[in-house]
Amino acid sequence: MEKQYSENYNREELMVIEASRFIKSADTVILGTGLPMVAAIFAQKTHAPDVNFVVESGSIDPVLPFAPFTVADPVIGHMAVKTGSLREVLGCLVQRGLVDIGFLGGAEIDQFGNINSTYIGEPQSPKVRFPGSGGANCISSCVPKILVISTHEKRRFPARVQFITSPGYIDGPDGRKKAGLRMAKPDIIVVTDLCVMEINPDTGRLELIKVMPGTTIDKVYENTGFKPNLKEELKEVELPTERALKILRNEVDPDHVYLKGSSNRKKT
Amino acid sequence: MSKVSKKIKVMTAQEAVEKFVFDGAVIGMGGQNVSRCAVALTHEIIRQGKKDLTLTGCNLSIHMDLLVGAGLVKKCEFGLGGLGRFGSTFQFKRAIEEKRMEAEDYDHLTMVCRFLAGEMGIPFIPVRGLLGSDILNYQAASTGKKFEIISNPWNQQEKVVLVPAMQPDVSIVHVQKADEIGNVLIQGIASHEPELIRASKTTIVSCEEIVSTNFFRSHSDSTTIPYHYVDAVVQQRYGAYPTATYGYYSFDTDHINYYQQCARAGGEEYKRYMNEYVYECETFDDFLEKCGGIKKFTHLEQEMLRLM
Repeated sequence: MEKQYSENYNREELMVIEASRFIKSADTVILGTGLPMVAAIFAQKTHAPDVNFVVESGSIDPVLPFAPFTVADPVIGHMAVKTGSLREVLGCLVQRGLVDIGFLGGAEIDQFGNINSTYIGEPQSPKVRFPGSGGANCISSCVPKILVISTHEKRRFPARVQFITSPGYIDGPDGRKKAGLRMAKPDIIVVTDLCVMEINPDTGRLELIKVMPGTTIDKVYENTGFKPNLKEELKEVELPTERALKILRNEVDPDHVYLKGSSNRKKT
Repeated sequence: MSKVSKKIKVMTAQEAVEKFVFDGAVIGMGGQNVSRCAVALTHEIIRQGKKDLTLTGCNLSIHMDLLVGAGLVKKCEFGLGGLGRFGSTFQFKRAIEEKRMEAEDYDHLTMVCRFLAGEMGIPFIPVRGLLGSDILNYQAASTGKKFEIISNPWNQQEKVVLVPAMQPDVSIVHVQKADEIGNVLIQGIASHEPELIRASKTTIVSCEEIVSTNFFRSHSDSTTIPYHYVDAVVQQRYGAYPTATYGYYSFDTDHINYYQQCARAGGEEYKRYMNEYVYECETFDDFLEKCGGIKKFTHLEQEMLRLM
């Protein structure tokens, strides 16, 4: 059957759908609060029905009817094979090396894929305090494939983050190895409302691999504090299908906790 | 004399806090985000004005923010301070930005490993995380030394980070069921609490229900924590409100949003919240009445049923 593409979506919806495309069936995914949860549950309801979820608060392989409010929402244990502890998930699964994909987000993401979710300004006299690492540092240290979802603003994409909460490639291709991280060359993919970037393991830097429909490379550059190299075969992000949007709006986020009422909104 | 007691430990929140929480204590905080925060015990600590506290845990949430907002906290040692989709813990954020409170950052696994070392009576423990991060570069430490990077003695190429054990002076935890001598059942996600409770020098547990010891003897494979680690059992229905207790009631979006609005505004608006909902309530039951009483809780119980 031919895919019925839709133009009746907003950028946030396509960002989530695009992020979900990096999840394959049978992957073990650690869920994080926010849009990552929406992307992962959307993947489970569409192209990756056999995906396995774990959640830092202790929920192992839950069946989530809709996107929970936080990782400690009481629905997070729904139909889980085990509601265990934080140590079982972050220690015995993530650190142990049994999780394939982790989602991260933060206040700043830099050209090396480092993430800051702790401080703007010097820690001794901070300008802004953010929540801190949570499970993120452990995930960035130990998981082979990291997905980041973020709105694309210049201040969020500086050349260097002000504080490395979760290391990407730190300062170059061998940064992680020098620091002693066992997972020396993870995949890091950043999906924004303008583009998709991916770490090139040979340079340790983010490259531009796709742009969102209707967006130009120049617009990405204008909104980025560094200049990501272009991958040779730069692609456009595939449009969402009508069916995908229906599932996203009606099943994954029915109360519009994450994605604002969007059914009549045109892309911008 | 044995440190472990099998005597009856049931008491009121007021008695438990008077007996076990002291000025300058390191307090282990149970709960995560919108689930099972020990809010009843937190209110009691605030009413008694126990001060110069260090709060430790993984996701420090609204209970931490209340204690910080009351001006009782000198330091947090933790994985994350926040309320997820409800936003920042604003009093915590402001106290750090204004340098009124010290923050010693770790990540969740590192904190739970520190409790794991604490519960097993070993002095430190290795973790694989933190390497290459600025969490290590900023070295404020209650122990004087935050970490040590070593080579694995059996594989010199491999680096690990050693972190010190953590044994809080007293932990406050809200659970579903306990008996009179302190056996505990946590239902649903257990977060960092099994390690936290066993690591703590003393623990106050508040619970939705007190059950018989025979309940545990006949379900002994599902006892979360045996009585050895628990010093006080406080029966308090809805003791985690406005956060949720799995199997009993959901979190109250309206009250958490209202708290967030006051905490964000600070100043007089926050003072009014604290006066009305904490200081002017003699007990936690008075607070529950103010928040809508039976009608409110019937609704939150029904919400929980829909999730199960």
